[in-house]
Amino acid sequence: MSDMKTQTPRPAGREEPSADESGPPAVEMDSVHKDFDGGVIKALNGLSLRVERGESVAVTGPSGCGKSTMLHLIAALDRPTSGIIRVGGMDLASQKNLPGYRRHHVGLVFQFHDLLPQLTAIQNVEIAMFGTGLNRRQRRDRAQSLLADVELAGMENRPPTKLSGGERQRVAIARALANEPELLLADEPTGSLDQQSVHHVLDMFSRLRAERPGMAMIIVTHDMGVADTADRIIRLSDGRVR
Amino acid sequence: MSFAALIVHNVTVRKLRLALTALAVAIGVVTVVSLGVLTHSLETSDLALLKTGHADFTIAQKDVSDLLSSSIDDSTLAHIRSEPGVADVTGVLIGIQRLNAANPQFLEIGISPADLSAFGVTVVAGRPFAASADNELLLGWRAAQNLGLHTGDTLRVAGTTFRVVGIYSTGQALGDAGVMFPLTWFQTYQRQPSQYTLLFVVVTPGASVATVQSRIDRDFPQLATIRTLQQFGRADRSLSLILAADQGATVLAVIIGAIVVMSAMTMSFIERTREFGVLSAIGWTRRRVGIMIMSEALLIGLIGTAGGLGLSVLAVLGVQHLPSLTGILQPVYTSDVFGRALYTAAAMVVLGGLAPAIRAATTRPLEALRHE
Repeated sequence: MSDMKTQTPRPAGREEPSADESGPPAVEMDSVHKDFDGGVIKALNGLSLRVERGESVAVTGPSGCGKSTMLHLIAALDRPTSGIIRVGGMDLASQKNLPGYRRHHVGLVFQFHDLLPQLTAIQNVEIAMFGTGLNRRQRRDRAQSLLADVELAGMENRPPTKLSGGERQRVAIARALANEPELLLADEPTGSLDQQSVHHVLDMFSRLRAERPGMAMIIVTHDMGVADTADRIIRLSDGRVR
Repeated sequence: MSFAALIVHNVTVRKLRLALTALAVAIGVVTVVSLGVLTHSLETSDLALLKTGHADFTIAQKDVSDLLSSSIDDSTLAHIRSEPGVADVTGVLIGIQRLNAANPQFLEIGISPADLSAFGVTVVAGRPFAASADNELLLGWRAAQNLGLHTGDTLRVAGTTFRVVGIYSTGQALGDAGVMFPLTWFQTYQRQPSQYTLLFVVVTPGASVATVQSRIDRDFPQLATIRTLQQFGRADRSLSLILAADQGATVLAVIIGAIVVMSAMTMSFIERTREFGVLSAIGWTRRRVGIMIMSEALLIGLIGTAGGLGLSVLAVLGVQHLPSLTGILQPVYTSDVFGRALYTAAAMVVLGGLAPAIRAATTRPLEALRHE
């Protein structure tokens, strides 16, 4: 099994992540509200949350409690109706370059992996590194190394259709790690997997935590088995922490 | 993988979209190139006729439906000959006759033997016909080659047997593919006594061609002087109409092509909405997504253009061999025609690809990720 720390060049555009826990928290949400349909639906209702650097947090709760909305706001895929969200001490509301923020600071893993079907496994990882300053060879080497990290060496040139659900999810994890994010956000990462693949992915997350002590993880899940692997479990209900 | 390789991959992996969109572009290019080559070839053939010989400019009747319907009488020729600055005027009567299936548009020129040299005709074999002869003709060297005839042979034209007394060359493909008769006989045969189709004017040395030309235009409002391609439409309206139709077809090709490209790109955009959401989520900028879509459209356009150019050559070859155009159409492929094909293809893909590209670039990532 390969070492989870890749040795290929790091993408430009961000600083070396630090495991120094005395710095600003990885994520800080303060009285965050998110309304839809002009306030008819209140997905988040004054949510406040703090996740430290290097911490692993599982977010659970019933459907519609605002788990995914919270993740989307932290990933800057959407904006809060009110409240403050800081990532690594940076206020997202003042961020002008949100694609740059997503590229350099956040890694996203979706429930259905969302790989591009027309690309191979390695190409799916490589495209996350466009615009990072790495050249073609560096992107290739790094993607290869990341796929080896998630135990997919030898499967680099397979399209997603030739991979199992668990293998696809591991490609998605490799893609999320491509730019060495400070924060890994996973939305039901095992939701579409069989039991064996769930174990594999969980093992992957455990190793990630061990090898990347500065990286915080927020995993949204219904599965208490998955939640139990985190440092802390947060239960959401009606758009706020219970 | 480089960004360029990703674009090539995205284009080639969706074979049906590539085929349909490239076909639309190719059809547009075929339309533009084929019509462009045909009209330009017709222009060139007509202009070649006008430029035969050593004349400084040509005179035809104004606003005729086609050049061969022009009719100028003897007295007008005499008046023009007496205009200041005019050194010489040669009058010719031109007709077109179906000789046989292989020569459906056989060019016939009635000219006085005394004017042959001034008209730029060189007799390369045999001798000129006599001015009063009614059974002698000169055959252009291309026509002689096509018909397998030599000096001394006979040729039957319109029920009359003529002796080929000489072979001529004018240096113009169209002129050299025809026949020349003594002017008087040909005027009688055409039932146009004392009439000419075209007058070829040579100005006196030192005189300004433009001045002489404008003076004739002023003094003879029923006539049109022609020196350049642009002035050609003053005499021949049919070619002007063909040129206008060619331009209209180009615009239509662009509009239809753009609509097809747009629908293919939009269908592809709808299919790939979630992909654009993923790309945004992993940090792609709107600009990069937009550039990707436009580059894909341009690449498809380029493939369509290449295919269209190949098909155009085949289409023109096919048209060239239509019985009604045999021997008349000499395809002229100019850089202008190919330039227009490229502009057309570019207009189609830019107009067709822009809206999907903007839509892909501006769709909110979350909205795209929720797309099923």
